[in-house]
Amino acid sequence: RPAGGGAPSGTVTEHEAAAQRIHWRLPLSFQTTMPVLGDNPIYVTEMLRASSAGAVDIRIFEPGEVVPAFAITEAVREGKVEAGYTWLGYDQGRIPSAALIAAVPFGMEPWEFAAWWFEGGGRTLGEALYAKQNIHVVFCGLTGPETAGWFREPIESLDDVRGLKIRFAGIGGKVMERAGASVTMLPGGEIFQALEKGAIDATEYALPIVDQSLGFNRVASYNYYPGWHQPATSSHMVVNLDVWNQTAPADQKLIETACTAGVMRNLARSEALQGEIIAGFPEVGVEAHTLPDDVLRELERVTEEVLEEEAANDADFAAILESQQRFRASYAHWKARAYLPRDF
Amino acid sequence: MAPNEGLALLMFASFIGLVFTGFPVAWILGGLAVLFTALAIVLNLDFNFPFAIDWSYTSLVVDRSWNVMENWVMVALPMFIFMGLLLDRSGIANQLMVSFSRLFGGVRGGLAITVTLIGLLLAATTGIIGASVVLLALLGLPVMLNQGYDKALASGTVCAVGTLGILIPPSIMLVLMADRMAMSVGDLFLGAVFPGALLGGLYVAYLLGVGLLKPDSAPASEREPVNWATVRDLFVAILPPAFLILAVLGSIFLGLATPTEAAGVGAAGALLLAVLKRRLDGRVLREVLHETTRTTAFIFGVLLGATAFALVLRGLGGDELIERALLNLPFSPAGIIITILFATFLLGFFLDWIELTLIILPLVSPVVVNLGFDPVWFTVLFAVCLQTSFLTPPVGFAIFYLKGVAPPGVEVRTIYKGVAPFIVLQLIGLVIIFNWDALVTWLPAQAYR
Amino acid sequence: MELPATRFSRAVDPWLERIGQWASWLWVLLLAVIVANVVLRYVFGEGRIEFEEVQWHLYATGFLLGLGYALKADAHIRVDVLHERFSPTLTAWVELYGILLLLLPFIAVVLIFSVPFVCTSFAFGEISSSPGGLPYRWAIKAMLPLGFLLLLVAALSRLSRVWAWLFLGADAAPDEGFAETEGGAGRGAE
Ligand code: NA
Ligand code: NA
Repeated sequence: RPAGGGAPSGTVTEHEAAAQRIHWRLPLSFQTTMPVLGDNPIYVTEMLRASSAGAVDIRIFEPGEVVPAFAITEAVREGKVEAGYTWLGYDQGRIPSAALIAAVPFGMEPWEFAAWWFEGGGRTLGEALYAKQNIHVVFCGLTGPETAGWFREPIESLDDVRGLKIRFAGIGGKVMERAGASVTMLPGGEIFQALEKGAIDATEYALPIVDQSLGFNRVASYNYYPGWHQPATSSHMVVNLDVWNQTAPADQKLIETACTAGVMRNLARSEALQGEIIAGFPEVGVEAHTLPDDVLRELERVTEEVLEEEAANDADFAAILESQQRFRASYAHWKARAYLPRDF
Repeated sequence: MAPNEGLALLMFASFIGLVFTGFPVAWILGGLAVLFTALAIVLNLDFNFPFAIDWSYTSLVVDRSWNVMENWVMVALPMFIFMGLLLDRSGIANQLMVSFSRLFGGVRGGLAITVTLIGLLLAATTGIIGASVVLLALLGLPVMLNQGYDKALASGTVCAVGTLGILIPPSIMLVLMADRMAMSVGDLFLGAVFPGALLGGLYVAYLLGVGLLKPDSAPASEREPVNWATVRDLFVAILPPAFLILAVLGSIFLGLATPTEAAGVGAAGALLLAVLKRRLDGRVLREVLHETTRTTAFIFGVLLGATAFALVLRGLGGDELIERALLNLPFSPAGIIITILFATFLLGFFLDWIELTLIILPLVSPVVVNLGFDPVWFTVLFAVCLQTSFLTPPVGFAIFYLKGVAPPGVEVRTIYKGVAPFIVLQLIGLVIIFNWDALVTWLPAQAYR
Repeated sequence: MELPATRFSRAVDPWLERIGQWASWLWVLLLAVIVANVVLRYVFGEGRIEFEEVQWHLYATGFLLGLGYALKADAHIRVDVLHERFSPTLTAWVELYGILLLLLPFIAVVLIFSVPFVCTSFAFGEISSSPGGLPYRWAIKAMLPLGFLLLLVAALSRLSRVWAWLFLGADAAPDEGFAETEGGAGRGAE
């Protein structure tokens, strides 16, 4: 087990065991070895253990070790495990609006999302949505944009998107499909091989540092930006509601505090580590490119279409989308004026 | 040792003991998961040990079974089994093997070498052990036995060669390891190429040696006079299998299909072949389909049982038990590597590769990397160890799968005997890779530049 | 060892056989879907995530419906190192205790907990989370309890036959139609 598992239960001394107030299993949906996306729970659980003098002992489990990666919310809901740390986008089959909390194409930027969650009513909506699932949800991690993907051939116009065989998940995948791409959902383990042999032309995956560690740069030399499909990606700790309600208020606050710190530290790590990777691209034969404006505009148009359709089908989706749009409209006044333009 | 770990050890021991009663492995695994949950509850472990298990925890077996159901990669398994059974029952396999073995003329052991070469070609598919062992067993075992091969030698060959698929890329095991270690799948794939070829080479050398020293256990096929007619016959006979191999491998390498889809393409190719050669009627097809269902079901029975077993074992703290045993090793760097590999090899007698990859690899890899060893080199060594674990009695899944489809008369004891020399070959391979790390590291350094 | 047929096994075994044989045609369907998907994608440049998902829907249905069928045919992976030296009576006792203490409890746990698993999916109208994926996820999830229900029936049928052999041995004649071949896993009675 990588560092961060903390003291294995077998080595906890009698004294410590007596003082322990919380002793949860925390299955993860990403490997802790995955930089930025996977390592944040190590930080959060260590913080909790240290700041509580060992009384809040939450033990992390790698994906599949106890709970399959995509089944975390459901296992927590049923109380099979006390808590989990996951990307809520995996729930969108059962809870369509979870996608809005997890990552939205052409959605909010990281600090914008944090502002909506903490100050703009997002947290109330998110907690209410998951309370219906018998789950208390705590915002616990946040990363910046992902890359728009790894391509074998350059993308110069919308024509290059049409017929493109690409692996793409979630709402972004729906958008790509509608824009004319041939979208596939190959299992994670086959992406590399399929891309290398040309069974697919492109794939979306994660942050540059993650993708590089997995070796995508070796089989596809065009890496595109900006990460339109995921301008911000949030992670949450999900806690069984009954377990949460039985938790002492002081410990609840401790967990919320550690998670809020986790959001900040996760974002800091996510922002800090990508530049060096992109700077090193020429050395490994990769070209970083920007998607043409007309492609982005078209993708944005399709995204709005898809989001509206989803909102028409699901009341929660409509409510959360409306809240996000309202917040963004007001935030736009500030965003457009206060910051230097990106090309300044 | 904490009481819950004592229970974990007891669970291990019960499995080993019960396996020898001859009750189906699948239900022993699943049943023990339930029994030990009950036992843990009855002993009131959760009173003192916060990580003890209850029914709610064990009910995760349902979520884990669902994870098996929705695993697209596993689609390859019934497809390869169908392909193997179809080639066997339609008589194409026999014809194929006989014509292939003519290539080796009077070489004693030639037939087993042919099986090895076909196995190496098949290894270029996804490498799901159950699928490749069953396929090779159906293709090669009856033919070798008919020609008078020693049962142990024939079944040992099939078992060992069938496991090579998981080492030779593409391989789901290497993908899982790359995922665990956050390392490049490509490096790992390339790193495993020469070690895989080396093991294949060792098998061939061994089979040639057996042919020379113990001619009775690997008799040669009848020598035929070589003339244009036999050459033409040979060519015609090799065309269909060549077409099949082309269908499977070609669709992968030309980027037409993923390795998983390639299994379906191969099965379709076999069906087409059987129809074209007029070897297929409704009765044969139905029989093949029925047997595909039964074989697929019993392999998945084992997978479902194993996932339940692993869940409960982990809940009882089986992981920590292994972890602690490995962590304080008082050796030199090379000594630590050897100890880790040796421990993996021993654990492989009891646990399957998924569990070992989940438990041990993330635990030891930081230690190994800190010692200055190449992580790809170490992971490939680890992978060879795990591949060996499929062959080691008493719990060797390759052995079980082979037993499942072997003709009557091939007992598990026979297979145990047959795999023994191959385990020795695996160990020789490990020593060679350990001493010449360039076998692993050279190819990744050359490619993609 | 040839187990005698019982009234219960005579009633259910033909059905297990029939269901297993019907399910077997799923492999042909699966093969066709895979080929269609490959052709669609690479000849017509059209990706179909529905077709990708149908593949594992078919394979999961196939192996789950096959569980009871395989048990009925006694097609299993087992270690026969000692087993083959057991007397038929000892083998029967192993079967009896194995079914009672290992197999039935395992089936019970999966059945008890998979029903709410399916109900949750149904209640939420769960669909695939992939773009263009399949709806009615509860239907494929329901294959898990269904498969284990068939396994339960097969286990009870076999239990009744082992029981008959052990305790009613002289009264029940072996039923030729369902006799097993020795260690005939995989190649069990067709
Ligand atoms: Na392989
Ligand atoms: Na083994």
